[in-house]
Amino acid sequence: MSLAASFLGGARSRLLPPSIPFRFFGAAIVFHVAAWLALVMAADEVPGFSGGLGMPLAALHLLTLGVLAATAIGAAFQLLPVATRQPLTAVWPTRLAFWLFVPGVLAMGHGMGAIHLPVLAAGGGLVSTGLVVFALITAGNLRRAKDLRLVAAHGWVAVAALAAMLALGLMLVADFHAALLPDHGAAALAHLILAGYGFMGMLALGFSHILVPMFVLSPAPPTWLGRTQLLLSILGLVLGVVGALAGNTPLLAAAGLSGLAAAAAYLGAMAVALKTRMRKRLDLSFAFMAVAWLMLPVSLILGLGTLFGRAGGNGPALFGFVLVVGWLLTFLLGVLQRIMPFLASMHASKRGGKPPLVSELMSGLPLRVLAACHFPALALVAAGIALDHGATVRAGAVLGTAGALAFAWFGAIVIRRMTATPRAAPKPGAAGPAGG
Amino acid sequence: MGTGPDRSWRAADGVHVDVRGLGPPEPMVRILALIEAPETGDVVIAHLDREPIYLYPELAERGWRHAIVAGDPGEVRLRLTRGGG
Repeated sequence: MSLAASFLGGARSRLLPPSIPFRFFGAAIVFHVAAWLALVMAADEVPGFSGGLGMPLAALHLLTLGVLAATAIGAAFQLLPVATRQPLTAVWPTRLAFWLFVPGVLAMGHGMGAIHLPVLAAGGGLVSTGLVVFALITAGNLRRAKDLRLVAAHGWVAVAALAAMLALGLMLVADFHAALLPDHGAAALAHLILAGYGFMGMLALGFSHILVPMFVLSPAPPTWLGRTQLLLSILGLVLGVVGALAGNTPLLAAAGLSGLAAAAAYLGAMAVALKTRMRKRLDLSFAFMAVAWLMLPVSLILGLGTLFGRAGGNGPALFGFVLVVGWLLTFLLGVLQRIMPFLASMHASKRGGKPPLVSELMSGLPLRVLAACHFPALALVAAGIALDHGATVRAGAVLGTAGALAFAWFGAIVIRRMTATPRAAPKPGAAGPAGG
Repeated sequence: MGTGPDRSWRAADGVHVDVRGLGPPEPMVRILALIEAPETGDVVIAHLDREPIYLYPELAERGWRHAIVAGDPGEVRLRLTRGGG
């Protein structure tokens, strides 16, 4: 074997089979439809929702676990080994994580929606075990990473937040069986902060420092901005969780302010990437990212407003919706619509055949339908919550469902194009056609 | 494009660019900036310290082909050619 081929083998071993990331992305696409449908069913209860079993909680967890976490797991399994230059020690644990996690989310969604506590407990156990497998795989990879310190540091904070979030989540499930917690609401708020801004938020912020410059073709943003953002995020998370558990308003306010400062540093870094970009014409995915970037500070301002009773009677529901759907889901949809064709083209290139062009996969009708549905859905559901009007929430959720179906259509096209790429006949030496 | 010194030079076999030691996405950005420059020509030899698998879709978009060729120990050397060349 030539030196080049030997090195190639090493690099390719860091690239997992496409079935690993795409099974998580596929699950996320299905749960995306299910979450909006659950919101349609729960529309009348959504404006006043501030916790407790029922359809709003089921919709929330179908979205956070089924869509956000599933995508994060698939992306982390695919991107981290390549970025850190450390291959996973085995592939089977990634499959195990999937088969624990996805049935677990289904069971949790059913258990919460139908208020069926044994099913909820079983689902919670499966999801937790799946997430522990994910955390162990990710921690093992991060531990061996020699570079990409900023992204790795975000990964470590996300893993720590995940562990704390899981512990609190299991306590909350147990508390539904037998009142164990002194204050269920306080623990639920800490769980939400850890999940939204900790686990998912830190993964989104960390990956942004690599993915956004890669998408717009710009140098990496200044490291000092990333480090500032990281430190302020950690401070905000710690203050937020302690403040929530202790019911301490000044600590929660300090957490919100720290989070706002972290968001400012993050948005500053993204602005530098956009300003120095080589790709002048940005695609539709950046409309999603721009709206998500706006929603990140808005969610924190709403959190502070709710804390001081200035966000209206439905402040808690509005805060949760803007955090989970406005910031995290919208950002994820922007990233996913760019990364799925990119990974599909990369994997097709690996097969040796002529790969589909990313631009061909991205220019289709499904993404335009998604945009035409998702943004009005955001506005309608938020307005419905603020105005305490269930019918408006339902109209928004119907639009959101239509957008989710369009995204499923897009996902089906990408997967079909990737798997339809014929394998090229093996050639002497390690070579691959990039096009033409 | 990018920060740091320019590490590209012209040789008989094409324009070379050395992006070893740079963190992602800098290697990809520098290579793409080079192939988009009008004076570059049709052949670029890139010296990297890892296989740039995320670069390949971008090369395909621009109608460039890639092939891994023999390089120094610890190096991944790519020969990039415009069109079908």
